[in-house]
Amino acid sequence: MSMEDYDYLFKIVLIGNAGVGKTCLVRRFTQGLFPPGQGATIGVDFMIKTVDIKGEKVKLQIWDTAGQERFRSITQSYYRSANALILTYDITCEDSFRCLPEWLREIEQYANNQVVTILVGNKIDLAEKREVLRQRAEDFAEAQSMLYLETSAKESDNVEKLFLDLACELIREAKQNKLDNNDTAPMPGEGKTISYLSCCSLN
Amino acid sequence: MAAEDLPSEFDIVILGTGLAESVVAAACSRVGQRVLHLDRRSHYAANWASFTFNGLLTWIQEHHEESQPEELQDWSSLLEEGEELIYLNPSDSASIRNLQVFCFTSEKDEEEEAQSAVPPSTTEEEKGEAADDTVDETESADPKEEESEEKPEETAAGQEGQGAQTAGEGPEVDQSHPSVAQSQSEPTRKKISYAQLVKEGRRFNIDLVSKLMYSRGSLVDLLIKSNVSRYAEFKNVTRILTYRHGNVEQVPCSRADVFASRQLSVVEKRKLMRFLTSCVEETEEQQAFTGRPYLDFLRDQQLGDNLQHFLLHSIAMVTEDTPTEVGLASTRHFLRCLGRYGNTPFLFPVYGLGEIPQCFCRMCAVFGGIYCLRHSVHCLLVDKDSNRCKAVIDSRGQRISCNHFVVEDGYVEANRKNVATPTRFISRAVLITDASVLPSGSDQHVSMVTVPPIAAGSPAVKMVELCPSSMTCMSGTYLVHLTCQSVGSSYQDLSPVVTKLFHTPESHDQEHRPSVLWCLYFNMADGDGTQVQGHNLPSNVYLCSGPDADLGHDHAIRQAELIFQKILPEEDFCPPAPNPEDIIYDGDGTSFPEEEEKQEEELVEEQEVQTEE
Repeated sequence: MSMEDYDYLFKIVLIGNAGVGKTCLVRRFTQGLFPPGQGATIGVDFMIKTVDIKGEKVKLQIWDTAGQERFRSITQSYYRSANALILTYDITCEDSFRCLPEWLREIEQYANNQVVTILVGNKIDLAEKREVLRQRAEDFAEAQSMLYLETSAKESDNVEKLFLDLACELIREAKQNKLDNNDTAPMPGEGKTISYLSCCSLN
Repeated sequence: MAAEDLPSEFDIVILGTGLAESVVAAACSRVGQRVLHLDRRSHYAANWASFTFNGLLTWIQEHHEESQPEELQDWSSLLEEGEELIYLNPSDSASIRNLQVFCFTSEKDEEEEAQSAVPPSTTEEEKGEAADDTVDETESADPKEEESEEKPEETAAGQEGQGAQTAGEGPEVDQSHPSVAQSQSEPTRKKISYAQLVKEGRRFNIDLVSKLMYSRGSLVDLLIKSNVSRYAEFKNVTRILTYRHGNVEQVPCSRADVFASRQLSVVEKRKLMRFLTSCVEETEEQQAFTGRPYLDFLRDQQLGDNLQHFLLHSIAMVTEDTPTEVGLASTRHFLRCLGRYGNTPFLFPVYGLGEIPQCFCRMCAVFGGIYCLRHSVHCLLVDKDSNRCKAVIDSRGQRISCNHFVVEDGYVEANRKNVATPTRFISRAVLITDASVLPSGSDQHVSMVTVPPIAAGSPAVKMVELCPSSMTCMSGTYLVHLTCQSVGSSYQDLSPVVTKLFHTPESHDQEHRPSVLWCLYFNMADGDGTQVQGHNLPSNVYLCSGPDADLGHDHAIRQAELIFQKILPEEDFCPPAPNPEDIIYDGDGTSFPEEEEKQEEELVEEQEVQTEE
């Protein structure tokens, strides 16, 4: 928990229907693995990877849904302090694309205003089974002013790019906020974690 | 999306996502039990929930409409030999009553409509100018009188036929009434309109319960011990205030406060410090007062009126006839909690208290617990011989087996419950106001305000005022929660206090007070009386009660721990979850490091009031 091992810390949260490959994207990026099978990772809250962006160390804390999306029961607190959201669907599954507006409503409701959202169409390795055309997804993303990227967690296509692009965008925003003198309003909540409160209780 | 079926076998099925149920869920899942956690509502946290403004309006509407009990389906075909059915309560209506909504701000930005030619920014200024316009004031006097007389009638009507009052009309209709009143109070301040409250509705996180977290209370201890604290952020409660002689005053409670206080004389300061230091230990002097009122003890200490008031109402937060030993115990608890995180003994979760049960649910899910809202259990399948619940039938008619069943008491039919006393109620009011009850240099205060009984027989009221940076209300507003043990209806209990402390159409000469823009009154069943077991239910069914009237969370945490110990007597209750940064991944197997308890407590710099000098 020492402060000196990174310049930035960002919390990235994944959402989207069950089975679109959220966990695979995280595991591919953080561990370089493509897990066969669907087994959820018991007991793991989030994964960490520290990346180097133009000489700055950026620590990414990547949170998964813990399976709560299966029955549409994600806790609001999951969204609360996210700096970025990766909204994922499966390009071979029309249904997962059609659910995106529902997810956007949740984001609108619970995530903080400054959150960076990126739309990801996963499973491009299964091109022959594609149900959602790239153009359609791009149009949708543009209409919602989101970034858009297509990935394959299996082939490791664009996975690195996804997280690195996000990291760059988050740094850009953080610097912008500093310029705008917005740093008096800390992102995203205003509270402190208990441990932070305790070690800083000076009065 | 998910028409997926639930698995049909679990160790523990939990129905209801209130605080106690959620803690049980996290604790069981954490030690490897397969947990299914359901709630028939579409939101988490049951009566512990917090809502956006619009979410709250929907909640109000749902409670106005007499909920249609679902027709009981006959599941007897699913019975196996030697089993019988216990049906659960199909509707949930008993815990909330006497809902009343008042809106004291204009429906829309009226000026904007009237002078549509003028850009809104200019209108704002004009409104400001109008504030100084005395003509406006006098004109308003008349209708204001009318309004205040009309109010009680509306109230009475509201109580008797509350169903009729709003059924089908929705909360918006309530506004048409008082909107007359707004136009006159308008000149006093730039007011936020009802339309703006709705537009910025998602900035609000309005709790159904009003509690604070004692910094050394069982909830904070559990959050730290279990690492569930990583899912939430907290703010210090920054001020303890009290209402006295018609004014709101700050209560000096930390040593720094005492010395900085301008209300206290030097002699009083010395007396207070001496008292706070001495009361930490039990003395013969205190014992002599055992069984006698704490007030008598305080009088005997010759502290004077000021200090007596602070100690009795704001620090011990007890009533005049509370026995000395109880008063001393709460005084000590208050003092123990001081200085752990800040100047007051309390913390408040950013985004509201409704986050807390959800944090425990997240922990449960991380360890494999399955979550399904909008999904209920219709009945229990009970083995006649052993009197144990073997399985439940869910709202889709699926048979789900389980070894234990934990349920919020609202789901259990009243005739199966063994409740010693008739259900007591808590009176609640929620206000959206336009200023703090005690304005100061900072607008970042979270304040706890104690209001002693304002007349003989009235309840003592606890009030929490939240600022926008607690992420519970939009900027330019404060969110105020009032709570007391019910004597009458919530409106009867709390509106006299609201009228004294705030500016409403019913109050007179209160222009200097914060204006109430919108308010809600309701009563909620007090969960204090319900026992975990001892009901006419199978031996492996455990009841969790709803929120109680206490300021802290001890009741629910104690209940959860008790249930956990009955289910899993050998297991550790909420051991720390591994820190994700310490987890070592090797291929497919994931190994957790041996977790040594490195509790954050060591980091706590203690500094308490009662330290010497």
